[in-house]
Amino acid sequence: MWWKIIIFFGMSAVIVAAFLTASPMRAADSLGPVDAYRIFYFHVPQAWVASLAFLISMIYSIRFLKTKNMEYDTKALTANKLGVMFAVVATVTGSIFAKMTWGEFWNWSEIREVSIFILLLIYGGYFALRSAVSDPDTRANLSAVISIIFAVAALFLIFVLPRIYGLFSQHPSDSILNESGQITMGATVRIIFFSSLIMFTALFFWVYNLSVRVARLSANLLLENKK
Amino acid sequence: MPIQSVSWVSKTLAVTRKDIVSEFRTRYAVNAIVMFALVTLTVISFAIGLLSPSKEILSALFWVILFFAAMSGLAQAFIKEEESGTAMILRLSCAGSIVFFGKMLFNLLLLITLSILIVPLFIVFLKISPADWIIFTGGVLMGLIGLSGATTIIAAIVSKASVKGALFTVLSFPVLLPLLVAAIEITRVSFTGGSFADISAPFQLLVAYDVIMITLSSMLFDFVWRL
Repeated sequence: MWWKIIIFFGMSAVIVAAFLTASPMRAADSLGPVDAYRIFYFHVPQAWVASLAFLISMIYSIRFLKTKNMEYDTKALTANKLGVMFAVVATVTGSIFAKMTWGEFWNWSEIREVSIFILLLIYGGYFALRSAVSDPDTRANLSAVISIIFAVAALFLIFVLPRIYGLFSQHPSDSILNESGQITMGATVRIIFFSSLIMFTALFFWVYNLSVRVARLSANLLLENKK
Repeated sequence: MPIQSVSWVSKTLAVTRKDIVSEFRTRYAVNAIVMFALVTLTVISFAIGLLSPSKEILSALFWVILFFAAMSGLAQAFIKEEESGTAMILRLSCAGSIVFFGKMLFNLLLLITLSILIVPLFIVFLKISPADWIIFTGGVLMGLIGLSGATTIIAAIVSKASVKGALFTVLSFPVLLPLLVAAIEITRVSFTGGSFADISAPFQLLVAYDVIMITLSSMLFDFVWRL
């Protein structure tokens, strides 16, 4: 109950502040219209939540294989369901920003765009597999195994591949932290950005918690109906 | 136990031999893979018959042919076992890792047979030949090892699903993408004529990918196989 209210006011405050204060554009990145850079407040937290969801689902997949507790399967599935939503939103906002500043909606040699596209393909494969298996036990096992394989392949794509394929990143590497690990943003930008990050994370966990509870209740209901 | 390790290898080879014998009786997988590769090759060489594609594009097309041909036939290794009901006996008679490596070896032999048939046709139809045969063969061989290593467990997963059609390709593509990028890079170097220094980075990636994927799959295989 309290979470709902906190997230409502927090999110609203972040959205209003993101459009009312100065744009986060710096002298270093002087491409495109100044206002386009406001997408930074939303795009980065969305991408962060998508990666977080992917990580959570992988952790629960491993725990499922260790314990065979169906609760963990539900959690992994829920994290993936929410993760695909945030990944789509992050892709769309990123694509719009790319058009405004770099001139193209999509660029296959930009590493972040390639990796988020692969992330979407991975989610697609995960859900395709889940819909193709009808027995809940088998489904849980198979999707946990494929999650782990996907995660290892994703590590290759994100960390190893860019070194040989000549992929480059147009994303500024110092937009949040500089090389010595210090925060590079100005005070206002910093406050709005980190509030946005916290709010998006809170939003994710709030919806995640609700969905897990709904899934648990419907599983219980199914058990009672069977009796 | 030294006796165990000897019999582990011979048991693995026995699984492979069993698959080869049953493949010679039905010839299903070989027919599917070779015909698929032939059709793809014909379509490509018809489509670009009058154009003169660059060597970079041809090296990518070569792997597109191999990838889709592999997708058409490799899933059969486990689907056939499940459909004919022999999977249960195989499960009783030996450990999961033996089945995994036996099937992987069979898939690898299938792919090597395929490339022995396809490479000459590719060279004849598309009027290109590798400047350096050692790099070309090494790249193809390492690529095929990775291809069979990563897809064997996916084939086992797909064989448990009720809808098998496109699922194998959907699940395999995100996993195989790092391999394809590295293999295309090596083939490109072998076509355009480069030195060993040019392929060291993709070759390292390929070796690391092969080792990690085969290890990971053999660790996870029992979760899929003993359901």
